Amino acid sequence: MKVGYLGRRLASAFVTIVLIALVNFILFRAMPGSPERVLLHGTPRVTAEILQQTRERWGLDKPLFPDQFVAYVDATIHGDLGFSFIGGGHTVAEVLAQRIWPTVILFGLGELVAIVLGLALGAYTGWRRGGPVDYVGNGISLVLYSTPYFLLGMAFLLVFATTLHWFPTFGMMTSGAQYPGLWERLVDFLAHLALPLATVAFGLVGQYAIVMRSSIVETLSEDYVTTGRAMGLREGRILRHHALPNALLPTVSLIAINLGYVVAGAITVEVVFNWPGLGTLAVTALTARDYPVLQGVFLLLSVSVVLANLVADLVYGALDPRVRT
Amino acid sequence: MTAASVQGVAPRGLRGAVGLWTILRRLLRRPEGLIGMVILLVFIVLAIAPQAFVGQLQTAVTATGHRLEPPSGVHLLGTDELGRDMLNQTVHGARISLVIGFLATVVTVAIGVVVGIVAGFVGGWLDAILMRITDFFLVIPTFVLALILTPIIQQLVGSAATEVFGIRMTLIVIVIVIGITSWSSTARIIRSQTLSLRERAFVDRARVIGAGGGHIMRRHILPNVINLIVANAVLTFAGAVLTETTLSFVGLGDPFQPSWGQLLEAARAAGAPGLGAWWYFVPPGAGIVLVVLAFTLVGSALDDLLNPKRGRRR
Repeated sequence: MKVGYLGRRLASAFVTIVLIALVNFILFRAMPGSPERVLLHGTPRVTAEILQQTRERWGLDKPLFPDQFVAYVDATIHGDLGFSFIGGGHTVAEVLAQRIWPTVILFGLGELVAIVLGLALGAYTGWRRGGPVDYVGNGISLVLYSTPYFLLGMAFLLVFATTLHWFPTFGMMTSGAQYPGLWERLVDFLAHLALPLATVAFGLVGQYAIVMRSSIVETLSEDYVTTGRAMGLREGRILRHHALPNALLPTVSLIAINLGYVVAGAITVEVVFNWPGLGTLAVTALTARDYPVLQGVFLLLSVSVVLANLVADLVYGALDPRVRT
Repeated sequence: MTAASVQGVAPRGLRGAVGLWTILRRLLRRPEGLIGMVILLVFIVLAIAPQAFVGQLQTAVTATGHRLEPPSGVHLLGTDELGRDMLNQTVHGARISLVIGFLATVVTVAIGVVVGIVAGFVGGWLDAILMRITDFFLVIPTFVLALILTPIIQQLVGSAATEVFGIRMTLIVIVIVIGITSWSSTARIIRSQTLSLRERAFVDRARVIGAGGGHIMRRHILPNVINLIVANAVLTFAGAVLTETTLSFVGLGDPFQPSWGQLLEAARAAGAPGLGAWWYFVPPGAGIVLVVLAFTLVGSALDDLLNPKRGRRR
């Protein structure tokens, strides 16, 4: 039984990743210009030899399907994503590697703060449903949910950086600064991180609170909650020990599914604060029509989201025996 | 003749034939529905005839003010970096944002409904394939896909200056891209409803009389999922406005037909937050927040009223 669930999840994730590769392949061939030119666009000193090698490597003399697709997938698996059009001879893989960590730090921490705050706010408003706390809390959640991340970022920038001078306005470190020690370096980094992190967290809090609120409200109408009340348990105990654990599960899977949407916000927040992550990379590549880099970002983010979903599904399956059918 | 008699048998609107006016009355009786509808009405009036309120869209040539003037009696919402009146820009932006949002919603819902009904009704391997594709679009970051698709399609379509329904080609491409990338949740909802409708007696009766699959899907399934489609379309509208805004913000909009997202992009590029020019991005920003909020409120109220399944998603 359990193997069936695991197998189905793994197969589903695998099919999705194959589809991602297929879409990437179609996009690559849909681009203007011959594939050789697209592949070698950023390469310095192209000789006839290199051209021939590329044609063989990517199977360009052979039929489109399956040979070229297989060659494409093979190259992708080996991390060969071609050259950046504007990267001065750098491969896409190199360009991506430089930009991963800033994004992981910003979004990892932002997600964490948003999940804790959002679930707490949602649980509390759901518990006090119909009361003034619920109206105010739910109202705030809805407004935050309707606000584009970058708009929130611009407002934070204007208030906390331009007007109050509490935080720097852009980048990840002060450019050209010399640090006496590791500690000063860290402080400078954290000062730069504060506003983008707050933007990501507040941008996400609304949607998590809304999900958690409706989940709690649903759970509180379950029979075992009524039983708890009939047994004379205190409301706080019912919430913490009975309603919360059961309401958390569906919320976690919804958060995982929403990861794909969160990425859109990620890109724009980085642009507002000039944060040197994958988002600014994607927009720079977009402006320069640097398609190989754009495709690299798409591939990296899509596969990450699919794997995150797979992990969430497996955790969910381990925690909740009902879904393992 | 047979078709007509079957139609008489099929119950239209399974949850008691509720008329449009009844639904509207119920919607307006809810506080969130009323607030949402009022906000929407204001913006729709602005979008229908922006010239009547603020005159023609100002360009760099016809700008009436100086560079980045703060709000004053002459320019109620200040000016941008080219001296254009921000009230003028924002009201015209309402028209562009709402029209793009509307067209993108139509495309999104159309694709979602066709995929959902066909997958649910036909079933079998076609259903399996369609649902795989749907799941794919549900999981992947569709926005990043939209980032790649938009410039490629723009290049394939060619001239940006061609206009369709008075909308420039760049924006039509955005409409198409939003449609291609955001239909999946609609398809899922419509499919699950179709699955349960397929088992109803009136579908069997239609089949016995000799109606074909296409006929049953159009005349029996579709009328019975209309309620769901309406509620879903309103929620989709909110998402479409947000997606258009974000795409414009990263530079895929059209400076000659500035939507709210395009205005925000211009504000960022001009360094408005760093210059303290809050009046440059607060008006278009407030427009987006209010419109998305209103559509979300009306959409979830409608979903409560019309959705046959009581358990709410989201």
